[in-house]
Amino acid sequence: LACAALFALSLAQPATRPRYGGTLRVEIRAAIETPDPPVAGHGMPDLAAAFAIARWEAGRRAVFEASENAPGGRPYLDAIDIQMGKSLHDQSIDLEVGRADIVELGPAELLRQPAGRRVWSSSPVRVIALVFAPRVEDARLREALAWAVDRAAIQQLMQRQGEISAALLPQWLSGYAFVFPTASDAGRARALLARLAQGQRSLSLGVEDAVARPIAERIALNARYVGLAVSVTSQAANADVRLVEVRVASADPARALAGLAAALGLPEPPHADSLEALEAAEHTLLQGFRVVPLIHLPDVYGVSPRVKGGPGITPLGEWRFESLWIEGGRP
Amino acid sequence: MTLRTRLLLVVTVAVVAAVGVVELLVTSRTREAFEHVETLRVRALVDQFQSEFARRKQEIVRDVEGIASSETAVSVAIAQDYVPFVNEAAAQAAAHNLHLLELVAGDGTIVSSAQWPARFGFKEEWLVEGGDWKARGAFLKREELPDGYTLALVAVSQTRAGDRTLYVVGGQQLDREFLSSLVMPAGMRVLLYRNLEAQFSPAEMIDASGPVASALALRPLIDQVQNTRREAVGRLGGSGAEAETLHALPLTGYENNLLGVLVFASSRRELVELEASLLKTGIVVAAAGIVLGIGLSWWATARITRPVHRLAESARLVAAGNWGATVEVSSADEIGQLARAFNRMTGELVTQRERLVQAERVAAWRELARRLAHELKNPLFPLQITVENMQRARERYPDQFDEVFREGTSTLLAELGKLKQIIARFSDFAKMPAPEMQPVDFNQMVSETMKLFEPQLAQARIAAKLDLDWQVHPVQADPEQMTRALRNLILNAIDAMPEGGRLTVRTQYVGTGFLLEVSDTGQGMTPEECARLFTPYYTTKTHGTGLGLAIVQSVISDHHGRIWVESTPGKGTSFLIELG
Repeated sequence: LACAALFALSLAQPATRPRYGGTLRVEIRAAIETPDPPVAGHGMPDLAAAFAIARWEAGRRAVFEASENAPGGRPYLDAIDIQMGKSLHDQSIDLEVGRADIVELGPAELLRQPAGRRVWSSSPVRVIALVFAPRVEDARLREALAWAVDRAAIQQLMQRQGEISAALLPQWLSGYAFVFPTASDAGRARALLARLAQGQRSLSLGVEDAVARPIAERIALNARYVGLAVSVTSQAANADVRLVEVRVASADPARALAGLAAALGLPEPPHADSLEALEAAEHTLLQGFRVVPLIHLPDVYGVSPRVKGGPGITPLGEWRFESLWIEGGRP
Repeated sequence: MTLRTRLLLVVTVAVVAAVGVVELLVTSRTREAFEHVETLRVRALVDQFQSEFARRKQEIVRDVEGIASSETAVSVAIAQDYVPFVNEAAAQAAAHNLHLLELVAGDGTIVSSAQWPARFGFKEEWLVEGGDWKARGAFLKREELPDGYTLALVAVSQTRAGDRTLYVVGGQQLDREFLSSLVMPAGMRVLLYRNLEAQFSPAEMIDASGPVASALALRPLIDQVQNTRREAVGRLGGSGAEAETLHALPLTGYENNLLGVLVFASSRRELVELEASLLKTGIVVAAAGIVLGIGLSWWATARITRPVHRLAESARLVAAGNWGATVEVSSADEIGQLARAFNRMTGELVTQRERLVQAERVAAWRELARRLAHELKNPLFPLQITVENMQRARERYPDQFDEVFREGTSTLLAELGKLKQIIARFSDFAKMPAPEMQPVDFNQMVSETMKLFEPQLAQARIAAKLDLDWQVHPVQADPEQMTRALRNLILNAIDAMPEGGRLTVRTQYVGTGFLLEVSDTGQGMTPEECARLFTPYYTTKTHGTGLGLAIVQSVISDHHGRIWVESTPGKGTSFLIELG
């Protein structure tokens, strides 16, 4: 398996003696409404080993404090203050004016970052895919849409972030993703649609995440180009096809595939002892075009110059804030 | 209907007609003038809108040129990779308040689209083939959007950087917001039909508040503009205050294709209310004019008809017997001349009447003298003969004188009696007393009188017939005089039938009074005889004084009744008396 590519852009830091401690201010888009802090997944659950929850305001704010009894010793930071439900645009502004230390960066925000801005980026771990509802039974319709999609244009929308892919597992994880064809084929799509009645040539495409809406709009445009009417709606639950994002949760390809299949509602893939078996299993999963992978995107964070140490994320995008400290914090 | 009433009616009708005609003319002319002013106003408003429209076009051209000349546009133009600029159009559009903005590479490839961000990478062939966009200015364009089509006012500007070209295509949708942003005068609204569908679509008819509910009513106007591609005028909402005058303008695109129809709807409320106010004022003025006209007519007709009325009154007096009635002459006009002529006429009538009375009096005296002479001559002749016989007997036959004397005195007494009777009749006529009124049952009076005549009628072989109407009520009358009048009529009838015949006496109820008819079947009379029948001392008989019918007429006249005769020669005569 290919190793994750982890990179960080950093300004040249002045040679000052570190003063450990401080509170790390983090902003995220997600507004987690659960009564208690999440314990599974990435992000806040990753802090559990070194930090303990001190304050929880569902959907708004979470404050973690350094745990004195952490397995690897007490982290440098005193606390982590997480603001939830912040739009990417607001996060970018807060980072710019110094109200936040770590923020998520979308494609547009990434483009607008000043020169020298430190950016942490994970490997492409977010799989963007189309998932058809069970009621869309005609495979020709699903396949036509799959062939109509221009993945290169989607990557342009993402400011060339990530990798376009027709596979579930990213190339860096499986090494065989390139064998799944990504090019669009309008002629094939039209040919498939030609076999359908006019009334069947329409779909509703649900997308809940506003950030992903441009991708949906582009897919609708591609579909219109081949003669398929796709209407974009934010009511994803009732849509014929949904644009979803799932995460690669494991560095083990087989476990990652199983996790993705489960997240996408696909059958559990058979146990694979080899890459060939894994590739065959993935082929089988995607064969009916119930799920059409589009692109794999990384987690991208903008980091304030106050934040020292790091990088604070792993190739899978997990938070590793225990090795960070804030400039000017407690020595 | 009196002359004054007729005059008043005529003048009133004339006044009403004149006022009505004037009102109609004024209303019609006023409406025409208002319509003309309204047309001019709408035209001015249309011109004003077109100025506003042209200003908006200039603003769009300025904004688009501003973007094209910006550093951003230059950066995009010279960029080797357009990906970083894929969302640039949206930012620029927001900054310049444009609904539509596309940055298009020199080969027509869309670099960035504000209205359809997903459309980057597609081609805009029309842009490359378009020619001199700067000279064209802003123009209408049918623009495709993710959810359909829209009508937009767009301008194209070019950014040149070395051998690279970037087209900046920007504009504003002609939608509800655009219409609401237009500065429109009060009472006017602008509607837009976006000619984006093959067939008329009511949903494409919008105004500043959104879709127009009455879009279907505007279809004929839209069709007219679509067919002729020229301005058209119409009306919406009938003729009430809710009505609007419509002025439709065709909107064509850069390829001269009809992309929309702009409809200016100018409320007619002000006009209708003004017309209504004028009409109301007109009606009030007309009513006042009519009332004033009638009042003046009343006064004028009174002035005009007063002399005529006086003339009529005088004529009535003359007709009633006051022949000396005159009319006051108060003017020198025709009425005055008429009054003078009337006075002259009545004066002459009085004179003539006096002359006639004098002549009649003389004639009456002559007739009286003749009648007296005649009546007196008859008894006098036997008197003279008797006296001469007595003288002759005394001289020649003294022995027979006593017998002759006895016979002669007897004759003399008889004739002297006749002379006394004649004198008594004349005396009776002269001394006709005033009637003493009391309720008289005429049916009873007629029955009793006829009984008295039964022997005489039988002797004259005359059959009597009574035909009495028992509805006849007692009437105020003098029974003695009325009995004498009836006797006279019956005697006349008996005299008229020397060879016998039939006498009919009839009473008949006639509403307020009754009719008494005495008819015979004698020889009858000529109309001339009938005309003179009631003249005193006139008679058609060989005996009699000619006073009988004169007395009857006098009695009836004293009872305020009426008597007349109907006679046919050879068939008989009927005397009819009406009393009430």
